[in-house]
Amino acid sequence: MSQLALEHYLAVGAIMFCIGLIGFMCRRNLIIMFLCTELMFQGVAINLIAFGKFHNNLSGQAFTIFVLVIAAVEASMALGLVVLLFRQKNTLDADAWKELKG
Amino acid sequence: MNFTFVVEHAYLIPLLPLLGAVIAGFFGAKWLKGQSHWPIWLGVGAAAILSFVLMFGLIDKAEKISAEHGKPTSQHAEVAEHPTHSSEIAPQGVSEIESGGSFAYINQIYNWIEVGDPKAADTGKYLHVNVGYLFDSLSGTMLCVVCGIGFFITVFAAGYMKGEAGYFRFFAYLGLFIFAMTNLVMGENLIMLYLGWEGVGLCSYLLIGYYYDKPSAREAAKKAFLVNRIGDFGFGLGIMLSFLAFGTVSYFGDGHSAGLLSLANSENLSAFQQTALHWIPFLLMVGAFGKSAQFPLYVWLPDAMEGPTPVSALIHAATMVTAGVYMIARCGSLFVGEPAAMWTVAIIGLFTALFAGTIALRQYDLKKVFAYSTVSQLGFMFVAVGVLAPVAGVFHLITHAFFKALLFLSSGVVMHAMGGELDMRKMSGLKKVLPKTRWLMLIGCAALAGFPFTAGFFSKDEIIGAAWERSHLVAILLLVAAFMTAYYTFRLYFRVFAGPEVIPQPAEGHGGHGHDTHAHTQDDHGQNRIADAHAHDSHGADADSHGHDAHADHGHHNHEPFVMMFPLLVLAIGALVSGAYLSGFFTGKPVLEHFLGTSPSFVATYNKAVASSEETARRTGNLIEEVNPASLGQHDKRDLEVIEAEHSTHHTFMIISSIVALLGIGVAYHFHLQDRAAADRLEPSFAGIARILDAKFWVDEVYQAAVVEPLRSLGKAFFTIDKMVVDGIVSIIGLVPQLSGFALKLTVQRGYLQGYAAAMLFGVIAILLVVFL
Repeated sequence: MSQLALEHYLAVGAIMFCIGLIGFMCRRNLIIMFLCTELMFQGVAINLIAFGKFHNNLSGQAFTIFVLVIAAVEASMALGLVVLLFRQKNTLDADAWKELKG
Repeated sequence: MNFTFVVEHAYLIPLLPLLGAVIAGFFGAKWLKGQSHWPIWLGVGAAAILSFVLMFGLIDKAEKISAEHGKPTSQHAEVAEHPTHSSEIAPQGVSEIESGGSFAYINQIYNWIEVGDPKAADTGKYLHVNVGYLFDSLSGTMLCVVCGIGFFITVFAAGYMKGEAGYFRFFAYLGLFIFAMTNLVMGENLIMLYLGWEGVGLCSYLLIGYYYDKPSAREAAKKAFLVNRIGDFGFGLGIMLSFLAFGTVSYFGDGHSAGLLSLANSENLSAFQQTALHWIPFLLMVGAFGKSAQFPLYVWLPDAMEGPTPVSALIHAATMVTAGVYMIARCGSLFVGEPAAMWTVAIIGLFTALFAGTIALRQYDLKKVFAYSTVSQLGFMFVAVGVLAPVAGVFHLITHAFFKALLFLSSGVVMHAMGGELDMRKMSGLKKVLPKTRWLMLIGCAALAGFPFTAGFFSKDEIIGAAWERSHLVAILLLVAAFMTAYYTFRLYFRVFAGPEVIPQPAEGHGGHGHDTHAHTQDDHGQNRIADAHAHDSHGADADSHGHDAHADHGHHNHEPFVMMFPLLVLAIGALVSGAYLSGFFTGKPVLEHFLGTSPSFVATYNKAVASSEETARRTGNLIEEVNPASLGQHDKRDLEVIEAEHSTHHTFMIISSIVALLGIGVAYHFHLQDRAAADRLEPSFAGIARILDAKFWVDEVYQAAVVEPLRSLGKAFFTIDKMVVDGIVSIIGLVPQLSGFALKLTVQRGYLQGYAAAMLFGVIAILLVVFL
């Protein structure tokens, strides 16, 4: 096994993204779905860092800091929303809100 | 402040009343309240002062001109050679035109409408309208009538309307009315006239419907508005045709093209212009018939009495309804070229005078009598302009403004004193109750009846004399109308003010401002002020909005406060002496005739009339029909014998019409004072006629059946078509998104979060495939 190449990083990022995506598509629990979106975020962040490292360009890392900050803000908002939704229906099932269609 | 100042600042005359109206309208409800009459008093009063300053300047100028020319002359040849004044008139600012014995000042204030290419001005492809004001003897005279009499009526109104709900609203409308009316008479072109024309129509509508919580007032307002639409439609077409034919709407030119009235006089008219001149007068006259309540468009005026009495006096007697007469006098040269149009005006006027006069014979409501009388007197004025005697028409307009305003306002005093009662069957012998009003009313009645040496006597006589020259039959029928006028006027006076004292009792279920017999929807309390000491405590909420007449002095029941009596006194003096002064009966100097003759409109009309009668004579081979220059205020160049003969005819007619007036008064005296039972005894033998007159010739019913009902059916048909066809198509179109939305709801937009995520994912995949493959 030689040195880690760019492809390995990209593969990890892609795998994380896909796991997150599949989880988001398949699970009904709002918190799990939220966690899955976080997973997708991190997959993308790994991609950014890997490209930055490979090209010797720090903007990839700098961008990732932004992504993390925004993810943190978004997390606080989203969890708050989830709490509110839970209080309404006493369940975390996303299907409970399907009447918001249209 | 002098004449030049007023001409230069001509806009002050309409704007000051408007300013008053704005102040009263915006600040009246909250702050001014019972003092809302002040801005209007000041605005209209200032406009009246300006008008009189202007008038004196115009009189000076007229005298100077007649001194220069020896006499007021009409120089036919000169004007015909220079049919246009356009070179003399600046597009902006004050310019003076003087031609022959006529003169006018034109103040072009600003360029209002400009469409098309100025170079194409002659081809009718350039519309140019200035906000400009024209001052000549005609507009000066009209301004003094409008602002002068208008001012006294607003003074009266402050006393009359005291305590009414919406006091400020009333005065704001009055100011707006004076604004529109001054624009109408001062306007330099037909569009300005039209602006004022519609403005006064609007104010009339608003003021008739002043008691808008009363259904009959609302109906009357709508009726006035709709009937006037018919007239205004014709009038609008007339203006458009004038523009199309002559390429301008200005009377005497606005610096861009020559004026309409001078162009109509030019000798080489194109074929289209000649055809247009046949139609323009008929179209314009429709407008005049609507606004001035001539048959068959008079139906709105009697109903307009639903408005407060000062409105009836100002708008529906003294000023607005005379706009048609003014317009025909102003645009005379568009009319005289077409003899059929002149005869139509005269005959419609004559018919209206007789028709409305007969209806007035059997009306019992004071205001209705005067309303029909106004229609009838307007008929006299139309006869005057129709027989080419606009001086006599304007003369009657002035005197009528005085005495009819006086009569209306006096009947307003009666109405207040009687707690809203106007039915002359329910009252009698009020001379003790209303001692001052009685004399004022007597003066007004005498003037209206044409009692010798009152104002109405001279003006009516001039019309009858002028009509005699044209057609003996018209003059004789006018005498019949004059007889009826004298009879119904004094029937009213003798019934109401003479004889045994009868005061209408309250609790008739008919009061407040129930101006007329069909105020059946009113059930506010018609209190009787004389019998009832606690006059003001029984107002319900409803009655308050009609606010009976809260007087200044609640305790004394003074029905004749100074603020109401003073304007009446002024009007009464006018009704007595204006006729003798203006006709110059005692001085031998026909003031009004000489003065009005200096208006370019009258000169143009005269020239056109002479040219057209010569033309007719050439065509038919008959003798030239003489145009009487005096009836247009022009210098009489005919033989002294002819003039003398005319004068003696006039004097004969004075005697005849005096006899007719006295006869009418005598008949009224017999049946309505001396032996009131005699009238009742006679009634059965004339039952048929009485029924026709009571039904007012069923004109309203005919209108209902011939116009209103078909229109209503048509409206219903259209409504159904709209509902079924148009709405149907729209609903079908509306169904498309509705149905597709329904389909989407079942398939895609089901509300499952993952569904959306999957859609997004597939979307991204699709984009990637498209981009990379």
